[in-house]
Amino acid sequence: MGWIETLSAVVQGFLNLGASVAIPIILFFIALGFRVKPGRAARSAITIAVGFVGINLLIGYFMDAISPVAKMLVERTGIQLVAIDVGWPSAAAIAFGSPLGTLIIPVTVAVNLILLAARVTRTLDVDVWNYWHFAFVASLTYIATGDFWLGLLAGIAMFVVILPIADWSAPKIQEMLQTPAISLPHGFSAPYFALAYPVMKLFQKIPSLWNIRADPETIRKRFGLIGETPVLGAIIGFALSVAAGADYVTVAKTTVGMAAVMVILPRMVRILMEGLVPLADAIRETFVKKYAGKRELYIGLDSAIAIGHPVAIAASLILIPIFIAESLIPGNKILLLADLPVIPFMVCMTVPLFNYDTVKVIINMAIWNIVGLLLGSTIVDIYTATAKSVGFPLPKGALYISSICDGTNPLTWFLIQLGRIGWRPLAYGALIAVIIVSIIIGYIAERRREERAAKAAATSG
Amino acid sequence: MESDVKRVIVSCGTAIATATYVASKIKEIAEENGIKVEVTQCKAAEINYYISMLGKVDLIVTTTPVNVQGIPVVNGVPFLSGVGVEQVKKQIVDILKKS
Repeated sequence: MGWIETLSAVVQGFLNLGASVAIPIILFFIALGFRVKPGRAARSAITIAVGFVGINLLIGYFMDAISPVAKMLVERTGIQLVAIDVGWPSAAAIAFGSPLGTLIIPVTVAVNLILLAARVTRTLDVDVWNYWHFAFVASLTYIATGDFWLGLLAGIAMFVVILPIADWSAPKIQEMLQTPAISLPHGFSAPYFALAYPVMKLFQKIPSLWNIRADPETIRKRFGLIGETPVLGAIIGFALSVAAGADYVTVAKTTVGMAAVMVILPRMVRILMEGLVPLADAIRETFVKKYAGKRELYIGLDSAIAIGHPVAIAASLILIPIFIAESLIPGNKILLLADLPVIPFMVCMTVPLFNYDTVKVIINMAIWNIVGLLLGSTIVDIYTATAKSVGFPLPKGALYISSICDGTNPLTWFLIQLGRIGWRPLAYGALIAVIIVSIIIGYIAERRREERAAKAAATSG
Repeated sequence: MESDVKRVIVSCGTAIATATYVASKIKEIAEENGIKVEVTQCKAAEINYYISMLGKVDLIVTTTPVNVQGIPVVNGVPFLSGVGVEQVKKQIVDILKKS
């Protein structure tokens, strides 16, 4: 076991350097492993470091501006919204900010290649950026348990569960986007496809509901303004500080500050992503070289390509006020802020399930949001501890942080719970069981797809 | 000088995720072909605002459906999937050289 201890010592040494130094170094070596030229790998590592610094700066500003107001809100109204929603850019930085998080990149590629070879899936996930969802589960489980291997296993389990959902939803997604041979193995969007399925079955039993048709264009025209990020940020900042009973200077500052954070935070992520381009290119090439033209595959892409759909946009606009209202239910601790623009990612894959009807998409997500908030509220402590462990600048005090994406993601929650089971062998067993069940389901489904394709080929002559 | 810089808008659902990747590819293609470009990323929902702000736009590359008239629109999904990249590259170079 000597080398494991050496490894942890090295890892710990890296961690002490802080995410903005340690992670780019690790990513540099991973990029070299995928045969990126050293010069390009170094440039990308520096760019990633810059992105981390940018996100850290902004989170520092955000927490300084929002924490006092959020505390006032809790003290004044007594509602226990003690976890500040810092948004998915922060979640991604936390996920990739731990050494385990970056290791998830080559591990995910390896697992994908193995499952493709075993014909358990036909999705080839080239969306390297969104591997962070798997890294997020891994990092939180690691911090919650202190067990590196358990964290790694939880991250793998997340990916192995997402793959069959991506294969299963692919025909509907391809029809929606009019693009053949793609799927969306997205750690945040795909779970909601699976969760929406039973709701869709239920809705079909109620004809008066199933036959509703709402016009997304009208909704977009009427509510379009709140879909523009700076406007939404300003409204949220204003409403929050007024509800907290802040003085007018604080109200003005919070209004502008919230708009600034919601616009600038994603731009910092853009820098991080630019740094990942060479690695993404190299991984895509590795995959394509191995499988190009050999058999029918779905290229796994970012669900961002689906969120432009008019129904997804319209439903998300209406869901913003619904989400805020729902956050007042007892048991919820998350103060929804920076992630309100992320709702399109939750609804986009459910759009074809509900026959492209805005009303049903809204009702379904209004239900799952309550579930997500209540589940997510139970892990805000782990979320916050993980953020601290990667050197996030959080103010001293009682407040927690969270985000809608992936902080309230039911699948993320479920896997972390399995990892946290007190008796360690049972935790390992449970996660391994999830992986095995998922592989069996994937294998059976893939056999059926192949049979269907063979039959279709036979009948068409 | 100013007039040989081509303006390209890259749009996707968020202006972050897929647009960043596609924008980096457009810059590479332009460099390889000796074309000067200025690439702006935006959300699909905000595209008309950006067109009016920038004035002259030579090309729009999008990864999610957009509704625009009078400017050539190219589907950017092949850059993400790796399927049909060469065709799209050629299409983009042709449009940028002609405009």
